[in-house]
Formats: sequence, C-alpha cells, structure tokens
Amino acid sequence: MSAPDFETLDVGDEMPPVEVEIGRDLVSGHARFLGMPFPRFTDEEGARAEGLPGQIAPGNMSLAVLARELLAWARGARLARLGTTFRGVVLAGSTALVQATVTGKDEEARTLECDLWMESVDGDRLVIGTATLAWP
Amino acid sequence: MSFADIPRSVLGQEYDRHVYPPVSAEEIVAYARSLGIDDPAWTDPEAAKAGPWGGLVAFPTYVVKLRGGKHMPDVVAREMTAGGFDAGKDIDFHAPIRPGDSITASSSIVDLYEKTGRSGSMWFVVYRQELRNQRGELVANVDSRMMQRGRSSGGGSES
Repeated sequence: MSAPDFETLDVGDEMPPVEVEIGRDLVSGHARFLGMPFPRFTDEEGARAEGLPGQIAPGNMSLAVLARELLAWARGARLARLGTTFRGVVLAGSTALVQATVTGKDEEARTLECDLWMESVDGDRLVIGTATLAWP
Repeated sequence: MSFADIPRSVLGQEYDRHVYPPVSAEEIVAYARSLGIDDPAWTDPEAAKAGPWGGLVAFPTYVVKLRGGKHMPDVVAREMTAGGFDAGKDIDFHAPIRPGDSITASSSIVDLYEKTGRSGSMWFVVYRQELRNQRGELVANVDSRMMQRGRSSGGGSES
C-alpha cells in the first residue's frame, strides 16, 4: 500500500494506531541529549523521591514521539505546526498508543489539520494535541 | 508578592538572547537517533539529498532543545519555583535547521493567566523562544506553558 498523501487523505481519515515503547534507556538518553538530566527523567528512585510514580518521559520527548509517528505516516509532508497539552505522566518502561485523525483539509494551502494523542494501555489520554501538515 | 502582582509590563519584553554555536550534522543525526528514529531521511546525509529539503535537516522537534540561556525573567521565576511543570507546547515551524546553521533564541513572556478549577487555582506562564538562523530567517516560535498550583484557592469552574 502506498503512503498516504495530500490527494488521498481527507477529513475523517485516521492514522493506524501505533504502539510505541517508551524505553527507559531511550528516555534517559533523550533527556540527557536535551540537557535535562533530572532524576525524574533518568532514574526510577530519583523520580520517586520527587513524588512521582517512577521515571517519566519529558514532555519534550512525548511531543517529539507524536511528531515522529505522524511524519512516518504522512511521508512527504512538512510539519508546519504542533500544539500539545501534557495531561498525565508518560512512564518510562511503559507502552503507549499514538493515534491521529484528519480534521480539516485546505486545498488551496495544501494543508491538513489533525488531532493527535498518546494514550496509555488503560486508555488514558496522556498527551493531546493538534498539528498542521503541509505538502509542497 | 504573588502571581497576580507580577507586572504585566514583562509581557513581550525580551529577557534573554542566546546565540548557539553552529549545529553539526552529527548533532542533527544524534537527535533523531535519541528519539529512536532510524529513517535515513533524518539520519543519513546522503539519503537526505533525495528528500524534500535537498539535504539533511534536523527533525522538526529539535527546536525544543534550543531553550535559550535563561528560563524566565527573575520577577516571574520567583513565583514559579514551587513544583511547576510543563503543561504543553505550541510550535510553529518555519525554515528547517541545516548543518552549519547558527540559531539565535530570543525569549519573552507572551501570556500570564490564572485558572480556577475543582482543585484550586493554577497559574500559567507562557514563554516564547523565537528562533532565527544566521540569515535572520524565522526557524520556529516555541511557546511553552508552565503551570503551578496557586497559593490561594477560589471558586468557579475549570475553563
């Protein structure tokens, strides 16, 4: 099946849900790369000492994971805008589901508006957002 | 002093300007790999030449790494130190970041507001990093919302 593009996508289309592993090493490595080597992002015990249930992913990583999956789906599109709200902690070592739905299409600007979100295996929406994809 | 006493004159005023050293191709690739991205379009300079940008560019959310040299102006930071957390971000992406680009981050506060919900009041500070490259082209506006529980509670519903 060919990758979806601007011509084939329309309002109501959904990105197939993507199961993502929020690996502990990936989280701590990414946090360090971002210059955020705080215990909550790098260390299970350190996170608990801060009152958290365990090591968590930085919001900056969660939004990047949403962008990663959206652009892997809509290959050839440029990410023009991304808005996110962090509603719950994304635990390192957990599995999450990333989903997106097309909510708008501008034929003249060749852009698509999307709702996207990351939810836990329990169905809690941990990160919600909107994005604009642009095609040349 | 409380959140409500923060002078609104801070809005729109640049409180930090930070010039980053040129971004290397290695840094761009390392960012993508640190996210678990192995798509050659983001990790292989040769493969990226066939892509829409004609060469390697940073994965767009790399811009969140460029947070400037100072988190917030002192007058705001004093009121946002007790357990504040990142509530979300809104990013407008413009020119891509290519190897060799030197990015300047200009930081300002763009909004201060309070919400009252079932658990009491919440204070929000929205600060913006405006990122431009060495040619003056806008790379991104990154708006970050920091939230902190207020020290006083009030009525009303969550808005």
